[in-house]
Amino acid sequence: MQGLTREQRERYQRNILLPGVGSEGQEKLLRSRVLVVGTGGLGSPVAYYLAAAGVGYLGLVDADVVDLSNLQRQILHRTGDVGRPKVESARDKLVALNPDVQVEVFLERLSAAGALSLIEGYDIVVDCTDNFATRFLLNETCLRLGKPFIYGGVLAFAGQVMTVVPGAGPCLRCIFPHEPDPHVPGCAELGVLGAVPGVIGTIQATEAIKYLLGLGDLLVGRLLTYDALSMTFLEVSVGRDPGCPACSQEMR
Amino acid sequence: MRLEVRVFSGLEKFMPGARFGQAIEVERPEGTTVAGLVDSLGIPRSQVFTVLVNGRHAAMDAVLQPGDRVSLFPPVGGG
Ligand SMILES: [Zn+2]
Repeated sequence: MQGLTREQRERYQRNILLPGVGSEGQEKLLRSRVLVVGTGGLGSPVAYYLAAAGVGYLGLVDADVVDLSNLQRQILHRTGDVGRPKVESARDKLVALNPDVQVEVFLERLSAAGALSLIEGYDIVVDCTDNFATRFLLNETCLRLGKPFIYGGVLAFAGQVMTVVPGAGPCLRCIFPHEPDPHVPGCAELGVLGAVPGVIGTIQATEAIKYLLGLGDLLVGRLLTYDALSMTFLEVSVGRDPGCPACSQEMR
Repeated sequence: MRLEVRVFSGLEKFMPGARFGQAIEVERPEGTTVAGLVDSLGIPRSQVFTVLVNGRHAAMDAVLQPGDRVSLFPPVGGG
């Protein structure tokens, strides 16, 4: 790494000014690799803020194509993108925003077979998925690899976020051991206010950058819950479950 | 025994007067289980994705102790 160019110094000036960042931190971001799994309501703000901040390598995983009903909240995609793969639509916007960023796209659903080799190549994973089966796969794979991941979820007017750092606190399955009852309504039935994943995804992006730069305190062992109606953030302290189906075995 | 209950992320709708994450004190007989508490609150068990007792996951058949802080969550799973 040759240091920052003049243009980069200007682009990232507001980052560089921050205590604990500086040119060194910015160069670190430019060398960092983040995997964003899901490019919908959460993945849009996550990927956009990471690209804007100059995270040098972004991997995007999503098998879906853009649907008209996505555009109420999935702010990376536009009306003209309807029918296109989300990862390609997302890549166009991210590269246009910041040509420093290399975006690798995976037009696929994360599979048990492929997760390990995919995640291995990244520093951190941001969970922007819409189902717990994929989250559990991310959780278990990240535990195996010792990689941190950042859970985010939304429902109607509510959202949650927590950072899982293997060995440092509870994993996702310490608090959510089983998949939800398939008959319980989700966002497809109950709806979701578009700005809610915006709030949660922005927090996830903030956590990812903090982790990459070693700044501040992460949401480890702290489930941050958000309710838009009462406009309340509440932190719920959570501990490891000695009977956890995922980390009680991995840590042994 | 006295318990402190909090409901989150939409479960409020099953409990009249409940507010997101705000503690509600309830009185229940000794030996009450998590499932017994959920049923007595009028919340369908299927809607409760996870129960934390004093910040740790608890199974539906776990027996509650006086003063336990119980938090109930639906699956906040959209993305
Ligand atoms: Zn665990």
